[in-house]
Amino acid sequence: MQVGTLSVRGLTKVFETKDGPVTAVDDVNLEVASGEFFSLLGPSGCGKTTTLRMIAGLETSTSGTIAFGGRDLAPLPSASRNLGMVFQSYALFPHLTVLENAAYGLRVRRTPSVKVKERVVHLLELLGLGGLHGRYPSDLSGGQQQRVSIARALAYEPDMFLLDEPLANLDAKLRVQMREEIRRIQKELGVLALYVTHDQEEAMSVSDRIGVFRLGKLMQVGAPTEIYRNPTTLFVADFIGKINFFPAASAGKGDVTLGSGWSVRPGSRHPLSAAEAAGFGVTSDAVVAVRPEHLAIERHPAEDGIPGRVRRRLFLGSTTRYFVTCDASLKEVIVETPRPIEGVGEGDGVTLSFDPSDGIAYVGSESP
Amino acid sequence: MGARRVLRDPFPILVGVITAAVLGILLIYPIGKALLSSFVPQGEALALKNLSLVNFQRFVTSPLYKSALVNSILVSLATTFFATILALPAAYAMARIKIPLKSLAMSLSVIPLIAPPFIGAYSWVLLLGRRGIVTVFLQENLGITLPSIFGPFGIILALSLSYFPFVFLIVQGALAAADPYIEESAAIAGARRWRILRTITFPLVAPSIASGALVVFIRALGNVGVPSVLGGDFYVLPTLILFQVEGFFNLNGAAAIAVVNVLLVLVFLLFMRRFSGKKRYVTLTGTTQRSKQNDSLGARVFGNVYVWGLLAFALVPQAMVVFSSFAERWAGTLLPTSYGLANYRLILGNVLEPIFNSVWLAGVATLLALAFGTVTAYVSLRRRFPGKWLLDLTIMLPFVLPGIVTGVAYLTTFNSGPIVLTGTSALLVFGYFVRRLAYAFRSVSASIGQVDPQLEEASIICGASWGGTMRKVTLPLIAPGMLAGAILVFSTLIGELSVTIMLFSGKTKTVSIAIFEYLTSHRIAPASAMGTVVIVITLLLVLLASRLTGKSMADMFK
Repeated sequence: MQVGTLSVRGLTKVFETKDGPVTAVDDVNLEVASGEFFSLLGPSGCGKTTTLRMIAGLETSTSGTIAFGGRDLAPLPSASRNLGMVFQSYALFPHLTVLENAAYGLRVRRTPSVKVKERVVHLLELLGLGGLHGRYPSDLSGGQQQRVSIARALAYEPDMFLLDEPLANLDAKLRVQMREEIRRIQKELGVLALYVTHDQEEAMSVSDRIGVFRLGKLMQVGAPTEIYRNPTTLFVADFIGKINFFPAASAGKGDVTLGSGWSVRPGSRHPLSAAEAAGFGVTSDAVVAVRPEHLAIERHPAEDGIPGRVRRRLFLGSTTRYFVTCDASLKEVIVETPRPIEGVGEGDGVTLSFDPSDGIAYVGSESP
Repeated sequence: MGARRVLRDPFPILVGVITAAVLGILLIYPIGKALLSSFVPQGEALALKNLSLVNFQRFVTSPLYKSALVNSILVSLATTFFATILALPAAYAMARIKIPLKSLAMSLSVIPLIAPPFIGAYSWVLLLGRRGIVTVFLQENLGITLPSIFGPFGIILALSLSYFPFVFLIVQGALAAADPYIEESAAIAGARRWRILRTITFPLVAPSIASGALVVFIRALGNVGVPSVLGGDFYVLPTLILFQVEGFFNLNGAAAIAVVNVLLVLVFLLFMRRFSGKKRYVTLTGTTQRSKQNDSLGARVFGNVYVWGLLAFALVPQAMVVFSSFAERWAGTLLPTSYGLANYRLILGNVLEPIFNSVWLAGVATLLALAFGTVTAYVSLRRRFPGKWLLDLTIMLPFVLPGIVTGVAYLTTFNSGPIVLTGTSALLVFGYFVRRLAYAFRSVSASIGQVDPQLEEASIICGASWGGTMRKVTLPLIAPGMLAGAILVFSTLIGELSVTIMLFSGKTKTVSIAIFEYLTSHRIAPASAMGTVVIVITLLLVLLASRLTGKSMADMFK
């Protein structure tokens, strides 16, 4: 086990509710390296916030271990874990100035006043809050409050930097700006960051690695590109970006046959559980997933391909999006091309195709 | 994931044990013992073999008991009815009609709540009594004869004008907070003003009316001061209790009357619940748009005349107290013949000790209620534990108990048995404490509710201990609310009568008792002077609390 590594093993949380026990977090295993920016991503109620709160010590775990740098955190209360945390509501102390909010953790640690001042002033400067030391939180804009709460969390050089949906209360433009800033300062200080969000674009843009949660389970962990290019389950494929699902039949030796009769050997292959197939309304024994930008669209019929009809063409400027109705697809197919295809209009019959290596196959266990 | 932090510290358990002990000894035990002793004949030991219904049979056999029961029901229902009727147009006008100096009007409306009603009650005799200013005027000029001020007429008049603000404040608040778009949609749908009022506005505030009316009913049923001053030989249950205790020291009989008193409250409570149902209309929305004000001339004339007229009428008793405190000679004439400070010189020798008693008894009780209320409110809001509903319920219990009932329960309980406190200051302090605990609990709860739990989590994450978090984050944030709550509790205890009159002794005579004794022996001049002192002190305290919290006086009583 490395110095400064967060290690989560078999972490489980069961809430006792009126309707019986509910498993909010189910056997989560994670390793986050020192200095890494790691996001916990998933829809609301998936257990990502509960996982973060257990790591913070704000929630007790039902079972499992959480260790930092090889040291078990279980016996340590939150206050002794040396963490910095940014809350969704920022939770700034309304009776303290910007400076005193940022200095709070250092004062608690009885750091000499001169050092407190030096450190906090430097950090506030770094966050662009130079002239606001004497202001109270109620006099600040949302973005400024956000920065103060980041300063407060980082002032005492915590071992881990935890962020719980920190951008949820900001407007779209500020969100983009703040997430860049959060990543910049995290890299500058080299602190391990755990970032909870439900916004996949946000997670993709800031993270070194992402853990995708669903119903308390950690579905997949990987770099943004890996999660996007090679999702191991239908859920992750569907949750991250846009994707098309084509039902298929397993034809042996890695080949699958699509509904249109076209046989391909997809670039990657993952097992398909019966429960997940049922959840997505899949009745065939295999599914091939293809991203919209990997689909090609042609006017004339071809033997190797998927026939369909263009229902709607959307010119979006940097790309053009086609909605194509297809018998061989679960839902309407989305195709995105860098520029409009000459001679393809709404109502036209077309053929869709893709480079088989861009396809991802999910194959049920009962098939050969 | 609204889960709260589960703590390993022993704090909740410790607090739980202390809370259970305090509430058990000071609330549950007296109520239980009073209930039990109401089933035991006077002079018999408190034992199961002695249980009988003899105390309750009097409500069938004794004409005095029968009439007191009927009178109590009549007075309380009539007071509730008139207080509500008086309050509703004023509440509507304040919320929907342009009225100049609105915040002044709101502040004035709480004065009847701050000044104890019995202090002003005698003013009605000066005005409407047989030789009263108004009576004489009406008789000589218009030939109108008023009903006697002594009896139901005077009691209902005095109580209605003292208690209407309870309905007024809550309904005005509900109307002001109601989503203006609801009424606008009704108007768009084609409804006219009267129809909107009847089908939209009234049903929306009905639950608020019901809860305001409930408070009025409980207060009216438990008020002992006003019927003592204005009752004459017209008895209601609280004065009957006083009669039983002072006349015969019949504690068992008094307990039985108290039980009947509480039963009436429960019946009314159930009736109101049925009336308002379980529906709660939360129409608070994110919109900052204020409800539209009706600025037609007719509405403005009506609104201004009604609101200011009602306030003037309701403040007559307090004004008369202050006025007559300066009257040096006032015998056999319509108005005093000379004015001066003679009354104040008269009470100077007698006022200091009662005021001192009131202040220190109320002060100690306030500190206890505040400390206990803060801890229980914090635990109740921030921690999860089994039996929490029981804590909330128990602590709010004194809210529905008429003051005189608490008094009787304490008198019966601590007169004999394992804990004897009769005649001690502790008895009054504990009585005050229990009587006002719910207020302290509520006002601190409101303050804590304003503090985001994440602030405490943020402090702990920063490395602060629980104690450090309390000291540096939570307490500084709730301190203004705690202080305002304390001042409110303290100021209402200064003039407290219904518990005091049951529990005071020669050593612990309070200012309210001193005034009460002057009034019942018809020594109006010193009573007015002392009443003025109490009114001014309490008013200044409430103003101070209002300044400290930045809340308006009216908001503090909602």
